[in-house]
Amino acid sequence: MLAGRGLVKRYGTQHALAGVDIDIQPGEVVAIVGPSGSGKTSLLHVLGGILRADAGEIFLAGTRIDQFSEKRRSELRRTEFGFVFQQGMLVAELTAEENVALPMLLAGAPRKQATATARDWLGRLGLGGRAGSRPGELSGGQAQRVAIARALTHRPKVIFADEPTGALDTRTGKETMDALLVAAADAGSSVLIVTHDRELADSLPRTVVIRDGRIADRVAV
Amino acid sequence: MSPLRLALRVLRVDRRTRTSTILTAVGVAVATGLVLLLISLPYATQSRAERTSWQLPDVAHDGAALLFAHSEDFIEGTTIRRIDVASTVDTATITLPAGVPRFPAPGEVIVSPALFERMHELPATQLADRFPARVAGTLTDDALAYPGQLVALVGHTPNTMPDSVTSTAGFRSAGDAAPDSMLQLLAGVGVVVLLVPSLVLVASSSRLTAARRERRLAALRLAGATPGQVTAMVAAETGIAAVVGALLGLALSPALRGLATFVPWGGGTWLATDFHLPPGVTIFLVLAIPALVLIAAVVGLRRVVSNPIGAASAHPPKPLRAWRLLALPVTGALFFLAVTSDNPSLETVLLGLLLVVGSAIVVGPWVTYAVGRIFVRFWRRPSGLLAGRRLLDDPRGAYRASAGVVLAVFVGSMALTVMPSLEGMSGHDGTDRDGVLSVSTTAAKAGPVAAQANARLAAAGQQARATIVGGAPADVRVVAPTAGSDVETVRTALAVSGEPVFSPDVYLAGQQSELDDIRRVTVIGLVAAAVLAGCSAAISTAGSVLDRRRTFGALMAGGTPVRVLSRALRAEAGLPALAATVGAGAVGVAVGLGLFMLVQDAHEDAAAVLTPWLLAPVVLGLGVAVLAASVCTPALNRVRAEPLTDQ
Repeated sequence: MLAGRGLVKRYGTQHALAGVDIDIQPGEVVAIVGPSGSGKTSLLHVLGGILRADAGEIFLAGTRIDQFSEKRRSELRRTEFGFVFQQGMLVAELTAEENVALPMLLAGAPRKQATATARDWLGRLGLGGRAGSRPGELSGGQAQRVAIARALTHRPKVIFADEPTGALDTRTGKETMDALLVAAADAGSSVLIVTHDRELADSLPRTVVIRDGRIADRVAV
Repeated sequence: MSPLRLALRVLRVDRRTRTSTILTAVGVAVATGLVLLLISLPYATQSRAERTSWQLPDVAHDGAALLFAHSEDFIEGTTIRRIDVASTVDTATITLPAGVPRFPAPGEVIVSPALFERMHELPATQLADRFPARVAGTLTDDALAYPGQLVALVGHTPNTMPDSVTSTAGFRSAGDAAPDSMLQLLAGVGVVVLLVPSLVLVASSSRLTAARRERRLAALRLAGATPGQVTAMVAAETGIAAVVGALLGLALSPALRGLATFVPWGGGTWLATDFHLPPGVTIFLVLAIPALVLIAAVVGLRRVVSNPIGAASAHPPKPLRAWRLLALPVTGALFFLAVTSDNPSLETVLLGLLLVVGSAIVVGPWVTYAVGRIFVRFWRRPSGLLAGRRLLDDPRGAYRASAGVVLAVFVGSMALTVMPSLEGMSGHDGTDRDGVLSVSTTAAKAGPVAAQANARLAAAGQQARATIVGGAPADVRVVAPTAGSDVETVRTALAVSGEPVFSPDVYLAGQQSELDDIRRVTVIGLVAAAVLAGCSAAISTAGSVLDRRRTFGALMAGGTPVRVLSRALRAEAGLPALAATVGAGAVGVAVGLGLFMLVQDAHEDAAAVLTPWLLAPVVLGLGVAVLAASVCTPALNRVRAEPLTDQ
């Protein structure tokens, strides 16, 4: 589904990625773990097309995508990928439903269709009753589930999650992660999760360890 | 660590705080410079009035030492102030005004340098022959309203003085001078019109880091800092910008005053020394402006000081109450009561006007809130949704961003209602025909005046001849037709009487000059207000993007193109501005009509003239708002460069 070959990313003289090879299969859930500064987030951003790699190749369903223009990469991120970040990054003034609908609206979807889809996904993630709440009125776990719903509305091929439970307590983190995995499976999406939480990583089918910008270990459960 | 050292440290390490501080300092500098200039206007008019006080008769002091007559003459559309004097006592006992080198003897004239120049540029039959042949000296700037003023001080014997003579004890002293009330009024309006956008600029600049600073201060409060310590830190942070800005404004002030000397008023420009302020007033203003900025910053902190956790977390907005809307009809009614009262005083009318302007602070946020509700209910595009929610979330802040534009549109609409109406009134309702010059005199003098004028006309080779018209002995006029090109020659021939030569066109020229003055000052004020308002709206827009940079960064990371977000943000800023400017324009027209009613009291047949130009301030205001909103694109591009970082 998604493959990276010899990926290199430099910041000045620092190598964030020093030649990474990785393959993600359709529907596969992969955890990327490693110490701070090891290159986890850089790998996520390079594979997701947020950052451009300095060297290497990226393939999505057999198509090389690393040479795409910014415009095409944006389109790819909008249509084929979904993103979940540590803080949710919701628009504070909008309700949960409006936050979920916003990317669809920005892509040109009509209001009725966008809000109906948003309500549907919020319901699937157990937030049907909080559709009208603003992010400030939601708990951390609820806000993160809104962010997950926002990432899934267009049924992406791959979901990139950067420390999705990093700001949550253990129990809420587990509930949120379960919600993400169930929803991703429902959408048929592969999931790539960057996490510091070794316990969380161990609970996932596959873990990739990255250290000093290189894949140090591959663990298949 | 002391608050000042902490503030300096934050400035050193935080680029965004540095930008905000620089913009705040610029805002304070502009506000200080403008206030220093506008407050100096009454002093400037006072200086001018003091210098020219002697050009009017001293009616306050009885006496017979000096016979004084003053009139207005014209040359090529420019006014000549003519003063005819004769002494009944030894001229050495008459105190001369500053700038007048000596008392002119009978048959002598003392002229201003500009008039002297004109007298030598033009043929004598067109100008110099209006005065005695002997030019005994020139007046200096101390005796003139402005360097180019045309003034003639003509010496007489008591017997040759014009008919309209006043007996006085001497020349009017500078202490009896009264400043130009119209310019004082405009200066007062200017202070409000320019100070509000300046302060909005300061507020917008400091808002650039408000959310970030609130989080930092809340963290400090949670870590145990006392309210006093937090307040001192904010005072130090803002104080650096405010004090530097005030000093910059003080340094900028001479340049602004220098520019102001080039703006004509009352027929000419200004002396550089006119725009002075007493040191005490200057010191007071330079201290007061940063103090106000500091107080505003500290008052804005009360949420952090009282409840740091509340400030650090999100809080649902409280809806604004509809009673706010009453402020406009109530203040409007008070204003119309003021203008329709039997004897409306300037103070009452100004107070009414100030109340209407002040009501915008109460009504504006509610209107913004109401517009937000409409958007949230009926949005079809994400821009409508984003705009509506943002307006509902912080209607006061959203209104503040457009307050400068609103005020500029209000004043512009008011001015464009009043001025064409005044221009519609301008004109002459006498019986004089265009192209005919006349001199009022007595039946006894009319014959000699006409004869002398005709002799001069003949000597100058003119076809025109003066004739006597009128019946009553005290109301006889000597009139002469002109063919356009000979107008100054005919005027010079008639000026032999020493009485003012009248023609409808110079009357109209005087009216036009006054209207030009008002129009020029209004346009300058409005352009400055629009530029300031545009700057503050642009900074507000940039601030709103930076406040939500993580969210927008996430949306861009998720594939939303910058142009889509940019279009939404432009609409977010532009749609409320449309509502605000239309409202401000309508209120401006209503207030303008109210002000015109004051004029109608004195001129019953005067009718208000409403022109399509009334739409110009609204369109201009909207244009400024949309242009300012376009800064969201570079701000978003900056976020795109580092989409998922906080800074």
